[in-house]
This record gives sequence, C-alpha cells and structure tokens, in this order.
Amino acid sequence: MTPALKKLLRKSAPSVSDVDAFVSENAFPLVDGTDVTFVYRGAAESVNLRCWISGLDTAQPFQALPGTDLWATTIELPKGSRIEYKFEVTHQGHKNLILDPLNKVIAHDPFGANSVCQGFGYERPEWAKHDPLSRVGALESRRFESRAFKEPRDIQVYLPATFRQNRRYPLLIVHDGDDYLRYADLKFVLDNLTHRLEIPSMIVALTQSPDRLKEYAGNDKHAQFLVDDLLPFMTAEYPLMDSVDSRCVMGASFGGVASLHAAWRYPEHFGSLLLQSGSFAFSDLGRHSRGPVFDPVVRFMNEFRKHPGRPADRVFMSCGVYESLIYENRSLVPHLQAKGVDLRFEEARDAHNWENWRDRLRIGLSWLMPGPAWLVYE
Amino acid sequence: MNPNTPLRLLLGPQRPVVNLGKAMTDAGIGGGRIAVISAAWQEAEGDIDDIRALVDNELYDLPLYRRAEALFEADKSLHEAYRNRQDQLIEQQNMYRLRLRQLTIAARVILRAEGNAAAIAEERRHAISQLRALDRHHLRQINRIYERFEDAFAVDRSGPLAEHVAAIQQDLDGTDTVLITGGNVVVLMNRLQLFGLGRLLSRMNIIGWSAGAMTLCDRIILFHDRMPQGRREPEVLCNGLGIVPGTVLLPNAKNRLRTRETVRSSLFSRRFAPATCLTLDNESVLLMQDGKVSDSESVRHIARDGTFARVKVV
Repeated sequence: MTPALKKLLRKSAPSVSDVDAFVSENAFPLVDGTDVTFVYRGAAESVNLRCWISGLDTAQPFQALPGTDLWATTIELPKGSRIEYKFEVTHQGHKNLILDPLNKVIAHDPFGANSVCQGFGYERPEWAKHDPLSRVGALESRRFESRAFKEPRDIQVYLPATFRQNRRYPLLIVHDGDDYLRYADLKFVLDNLTHRLEIPSMIVALTQSPDRLKEYAGNDKHAQFLVDDLLPFMTAEYPLMDSVDSRCVMGASFGGVASLHAAWRYPEHFGSLLLQSGSFAFSDLGRHSRGPVFDPVVRFMNEFRKHPGRPADRVFMSCGVYESLIYENRSLVPHLQAKGVDLRFEEARDAHNWENWRDRLRIGLSWLMPGPAWLVYE
Repeated sequence: MNPNTPLRLLLGPQRPVVNLGKAMTDAGIGGGRIAVISAAWQEAEGDIDDIRALVDNELYDLPLYRRAEALFEADKSLHEAYRNRQDQLIEQQNMYRLRLRQLTIAARVILRAEGNAAAIAEERRHAISQLRALDRHHLRQINRIYERFEDAFAVDRSGPLAEHVAAIQQDLDGTDTVLITGGNVVVLMNRLQLFGLGRLLSRMNIIGWSAGAMTLCDRIILFHDRMPQGRREPEVLCNGLGIVPGTVLLPNAKNRLRTRETVRSSLFSRRFAPATCLTLDNESVLLMQDGKVSDSESVRHIARDGTFARVKVV
C-alpha cells in the first residue's frame, strides 16, 4: 500500500473531509516506485481495473477500503512503463466501463479514450509536444482516382516548412495517416524532428483506408493501390527523389501488416519500412485463435515466413512488451535478418496504443531517414 | 573601416532571435553593397529576401551552389573527378571515425580515472596526444585528397572552372564586405574551396553566421552531442579558410553540446588546443579585427577544465 493511503487509513474511520483532502492532495494513480495504486471513489458493488495488458489478468479487482467510499488496487509496473486503462464499475447491478475520474491524463484512439497510467520514470517526449520554435509544415488534402479500388481516394499530404518546388524530397507513406495525426501527434513530430534536422525535410503521404481491417490485412489490391496509384500520383504531383532508398512506408498494427505486405509484393519499390506493433499473426501448426478478421493476415504471414524475400533494405520495428503481439514481432526479426535486411527492433514498456507508437517515432524515423543535423549549422 | 585590416563579425544561429542587423550596426559596418554567399542553403541559395529585410545595405546574391551545378554540367571530367574526390573523402572520414571512437572512449575513461595522480596525468597526456595525432593524420590524408583534385583542376587554368572563378571575382569587384550564411557546412566549404575563394575573401570584411563562421577557421570541427541515435565524437572535417586563425567556432553550442559534462568539454578543449574553442549561440556576437577580439559579451570559450568561461576582450 502506498504511503498516502496508509496515512489515510491509519485512522479507523477517516472522515469525509479526510477523504476529500486525500483525493485533492494526490495525483492518481498513486505511483510509488514500481507500485502503482489505482483508486476509485464512489458507491459500487465491485470495481475492476481493465487494462488489456498481456501478462496481467484482464480484470484486476479493487478492494473496498473500510470506513470510506474508496476502492483501490495495486499492481507492479516496471520503471518507465506506460499503460492505458479503464475502470469497470458495477453499481446497482449495472456494469459501466469508465475513465478514471481522478486521473486527467487521457489518451484517445479511434475507439474512444482511455485513462493513462504513467509509471515511475515515464516521461512524454518533449519532441512530441508542440514546440513554438519549430517551423510548421503544411497539410493539404488531395484526391485521386484509384485503379486498384476503382474509386477516388482521399489522402493528406504533409509538406515540410521549407518546402520548395525546385528541391527533391524523400517520401514517407503513412497508413492510418489521419489517426497518426490525431492520436500520435504526427504533425508535431514531423515539424519538430525536421526543424531539429533529425530527419530530412520530407513529403509525407497520409493514407486512411475506409475499411482497414480488410484492406490492410495482406490485401493485394491495397499493395497495388500503393504502387500503381499512390506512387505515380505523388511522383507526378510533388518533387520527389526518384531512388528506392528515398521511399519509406510505415504503419502500426494492421497498418504494419499492410506496409510489410506491399513491400513484399513489390520488392525494390520501398527502401525502408517502419513497422509498429505489426499484427503479424501466423500459425505454424493448426489454426490461429485471433478471430476471422486475422485469417488473411495469417495466410500472408505464413507465406511470408516461408518466402520472406527482401522487402526492403532497412526495417525499423517496435512493439510494446505488454502486447500479445510481442511474440509475433520478435519472431519476425530473424526472418528479416536472415535475408540481410538492416534491421533495428525496439521494445517498449507500453502496450498496443497510439502513444506507444508516437513515442517510438523519433528513434524509428531518424534511424531510417537520418537528417542532416551533423552537417548543418543554421 | 580600414580595408587593410578587414573586420570579422561572427554570429550564431539567426533563430529564434535575429541579431544580424543590430550586430552590423554596432560593428559600424557602413552602407556599401554586400555580397551574400548562401551556398550552404543548397537549392534554396539566393533566397535572401529575409536578410534584405534586416539590413539597410544593398545585398546581392553571390551564387556558388548554382555555379558549381553549372560547372559540373559544363565540365564532365571535373564533375567525375569531384565525385571521386567526395567518395574518397567519405571513405577517409569513415575510417577516421572508427579509430576516433575507440581513442575518445579511452581518453574519457582516463580523464575520469582516480588513483596515482602522477601516473594518471601521464596517461591523460598520452591519451590526448594520441587523439591529436589521429586528427593530424586525418587532416593530412584529407589534404592529400584535395591536393590531387586541385592539381588536376587548378582554378587559374583555362576552362569552365577558371571562367567561373573570373566571373566571381568580377561579381565581387567594388564590394568590400561579404556575408556568409549558416547551413550545410560541407556544401558551403566545398564550394568555397572549389572556386578558390580563400585568398579573395581574406581581404574583405566578412560577416558569417554559424556554418558561415565555421568555414573561416583553420579547421572545421563537426560536433553534436544530442543526435537521436546517440552522441557522436567531434570530428575534424577538413581545413577551413584560415581567415579566423586559432579558433574553433561552435555554433548553437547550447543545444548541440552537453555543456555540463565537464570531462567531455575538457577533452574537447585540450584536443583542439592551442586553438580556442568559442561558442556562437543564438544572439552571440564575436567581433574580430587584426586577429583580436573586440566584442564577445555573449561568447564563451571552453576552458581546459571543461568549464565555459567569458572571453577576455583585448
């Protein structure tokens, strides 16, 4: 139990004002070294911590603290960890999944929001925050006809702050681009890393699929879309370098699968890949147990593991150690290395979420596409 | 200003605070035409409207980057030789970096060592002298590569290179001040060297910021302790123009150097001695004439013990 709770419960029956003071004087969850205590205040029959962390029980029960309307549970969280969670509160027979009312730190994703527990030693990187000194790039919306999907597709294009038509730029293609902008602060990250010369000024094509679970799941049409529709459009409309090593594709989760698949189907089109928590499910024997949406992913990954080829010269992979996908990601490493791919794999004490992917962008992008910081003295 | 004793006005990055205009006024730089060398901006060379807004002088663009591109287009054999030279320089720099890393790690460990003071002092001296010897060796190798190129393509021979050099000299006629911007120091130095501008510029007043100031030193030292993939050891790139002798200029040191790591800074200072390592941060002004510093309020030098101290004004 944390010192703050111990102090409160030293009294046999803490008064309401004692509890009020405890709540107002502390930041929640209570982090005491590697012990993290989650606290809920209110009437309930039961409270559970739900954090979808591989290795922890899906629901950690809270205990009612005697003489108060507080509930608490403690978990051990290694230094530098970051997890997202909700409380499952059962009251008058109704179960509600809610954000932690005592914690203002929230992370958003396409499915809503989660409370964030920043364990001892975790710091949100300053390069991922708005920096008023960084010159700001521009986003423009573009539409073009896709022959692969037989319909028009919308993308956003990021142009660096110092964009000039007479220069040539590397190209980064981002799957789930709108989500990266919204939930992983990709615009701040690009502006800051470019301004700091840690990555080169680059043009970024941000794609967003209307049906990502289908199109990103090792889908040939999507690979064709990238190579036969998007690349020619970008090449015609923007001043891009024309070498393979100046083109990078990235994505997270199913977007990681889509990136790897496109580079595998069309080798020598992309020089580098940035794969974050890729949903690289496979089955060596029998059937997988991840549900039908993963069927095409497993088909592709099984095929890939048999014949990996050399999808790109350089690959940066990252995955959270609290994700169930850590096993699949780790097991992909030797397959790529055996083909001579220059590979870097980073594990983080985090889970399958956008802030994990945000926090790894600096190391990944600057490794794959190093900027001119060493040579430029502005 | 006395044209026989040209003035060197050295500044740090012009971001976030721009101090170019004020520094020029304070230095008493008159209202004559100023040639601007912005080759360090590469394709953006000549985009100098922002600078025009800051100063009263008439500015004109002295294109070196574009001239080099045109020269490469016109003289294929020179272009081929230039590419070969660059490949050799990169290879040499890579080999140097390999050896440098090991020597620097050893030197830093020995600088931190405790125990028999006399024995450690001797080892420190030797560790640093090994580093200095490597730097000298590297510079010799680099110079040989440059000399081979210059022997083949001398600026005073006839041909496209000589035509460009003559045109640059003509462009500079009647101008006594040149402004060299910051940017990519390798690109800038290569262009200055290609057109043999050292001697010509040395007779002029020079205003240089960041990379522009670095090229004026005896040696150009690359440094950055905060690279995303981890710190790198400072590297000798090549000789500079030698117009500001006895100094190593460190633009944006506040952000690029880990200034509180005194062992690291001490090694920096001792490795490049007797040159004085001077910081040029945003808003810094270093005014020199006849090799003497006359204004340096905002500049620090790295002392032998690794601390950053005010520069004594002569």
